Amino acid sequence: MREITYAEAINEGHRHAMRENPEVILFGENVSSSWRAATKGLKEEFGRERVRDAPITETAFIGTGVGAAVVGMRPIVELMLADFSLVAMDQVLNQMAKTTYMTGGGVSVPMVLRLIYGAGGGNAATHSESLYGLYAHMPGMKIVVPGNPYDAKGLLIAAIHDPNPVVFFEHRLLYSVRGHVPEEPYEVPFGVANLLREGSDVTVVAVGRMVGEAVKAADELKGRVSVEVIDPRTLVPLDEEAVLRSVQKTGRLVVVDEDYERCGFSAEVAALAAEKGFHSLRAPVARVANPNVPIPFNRSLERHVLPDAEKIVRAIKAVVK
Amino acid sequence: MEAPVDNSKSRSSISVHVNSLKLTKTQRLDLYRVMVRIRAFENGVRQLTSEGKIGHVSLSGGGEAVAAAVSAHLGPEDQIGSTHRPLGHLVAKGCSLKHMMAEIAGKATGTNRGKGGAYHIFCPEVGALGANGIVGGSVPMCAGYALANQLRANGRVAVSYFGEGASNQGGVQETLNLAACWKLPLVFVCENSSPVVQTMLGHEIDYPQLSIEDVSLRAPAYGMPGGSHPGWDAEEAYAVVGEAVKRARDGGGPTLLEFKVHRVEGEESEHCPIRCYREKLMKLGVLNEKLDREIRDTEATAVKEATDFAVGSPEPELVDAYRDIFKEGTR
Repeated sequence: MREITYAEAINEGHRHAMRENPEVILFGENVSSSWRAATKGLKEEFGRERVRDAPITETAFIGTGVGAAVVGMRPIVELMLADFSLVAMDQVLNQMAKTTYMTGGGVSVPMVLRLIYGAGGGNAATHSESLYGLYAHMPGMKIVVPGNPYDAKGLLIAAIHDPNPVVFFEHRLLYSVRGHVPEEPYEVPFGVANLLREGSDVTVVAVGRMVGEAVKAADELKGRVSVEVIDPRTLVPLDEEAVLRSVQKTGRLVVVDEDYERCGFSAEVAALAAEKGFHSLRAPVARVANPNVPIPFNRSLERHVLPDAEKIVRAIKAVVK
Repeated sequence: MEAPVDNSKSRSSISVHVNSLKLTKTQRLDLYRVMVRIRAFENGVRQLTSEGKIGHVSLSGGGEAVAAAVSAHLGPEDQIGSTHRPLGHLVAKGCSLKHMMAEIAGKATGTNRGKGGAYHIFCPEVGALGANGIVGGSVPMCAGYALANQLRANGRVAVSYFGEGASNQGGVQETLNLAACWKLPLVFVCENSSPVVQTMLGHEIDYPQLSIEDVSLRAPAYGMPGGSHPGWDAEEAYAVVGEAVKRARDGGGPTLLEFKVHRVEGEESEHCPIRCYREKLMKLGVLNEKLDREIRDTEATAVKEATDFAVGSPEPELVDAYRDIFKEGTR
């Protein structure tokens, strides 16, 4: 099968959806620019009406997406960085996420909010956050965090087809990662985890860029520790079954998360194991996550707080001891 | 209308000659009837509150002429976005009185199945796309309705209601800019309900809300026409909204209209739009005491039916708390 990058896969996902349905539109900051790999060429194919550069006013253009979705269009709204969405929290959390519920299901908001996220590039604390834990905390949004090019394309198409608000997190450092991606359109369903490595000693759950780090750790420990790696792919809905089934088998759990540790995704998965998998556990759950510090600018400091394969190996060794 | 628009308050191209406006008798009575309906409906709400059957609801007395004038230019497929003081806008847009009253009472038969309340009423079937509990919250969404209209080239327009307080919100100012940049078919309608002194309605503040006298002064700064008008004059409102809606439908982009509104309960005030219009229509021979009584009785009866419906409607089931977080299915 052909290999393309994560960014090209996202680009193709747009292309399929926009060819299929003229009501799929895209706007955001610089979405027409040729240097933006995930959206490059879309304006040329679909025109400047459907692919629009918006003024740098996140509240206005996210709200515009919400409104367009309420009247049945399929807006994809891109934020150049997840951190920038923080200036538009009313439109995201009050309007986009709550409208379906507050109208008793009378209105749906079929909108995709694409957020480019992630640390590791030396970009400091307002250009590096993951934030999917914050969004997953609030009801009314599906939270998607693809970890490879195949999932990026299939999950994006599924997100555009979904009748609900979907927040789609694309890791900036995965943009250039290559992988097998079919040329035809396909959907990767929400709430179905991906099993990357089978193992019997410990379960490692990771999303986004951390999936790759978890796999690296598993491969490094090959022959010594049998590591199972699971990528839930979507935080909401979460494939609880897949996590619990694996923990039942291995009796040990390590959760890896680039997002803040406190009240986040890693806490959620640990709580899941404590509530519904407690009797399977043979060791305390371990978490490898951002230790609740803003991402520092200095590269050594940044590396120091970010999870990576080495830290995952250390955590695995501690729980299997 | 005896006097032309005070052009000293007009900004850029709003220059309606209200004297030349020819409203038919039917149009005039329709406007008046909607204004009376709004007041009757809100009186029904006030009554339920005083009886302890519902909690406090923010009412819009004094804004009836604006709401009636705006909706007179809109069809059910044109959209409005409203505020936390939305009932006049919603009544004028044609929302069911029964289902609105039931929503205000939190009942299962409400427009939102009892899960939104007065501040979040949606009636998509008549284009009433949202009262909103956040000051200024509906304004960016209205740009989305307008963008959909533009892309679908369906000739529809959106109207975004907000108050002078909301006019300062970042999202509102961002949306004024976006709507002008994209030339959206959108009419911004600001009801300035602190028209005399700069106090915020219902609150004592010792700093002003606005750094300027008129919200419409901001229109040229965002590259659109606009103007300030008395909100108690139904026909002037009808005229200027008509021009703005026409501009939007014709692809001319957005307009920022400001109406000064005095919040009133009864009809004693000289700024009560219902009193003003009744007196005018009487003078013109369009309305007489008997017809006025008939209109008021008809609307009061409809409101009584709505109130009875709301009070007699069932509560939601507890399981409804878990429903509608997501829509099921795809496409």
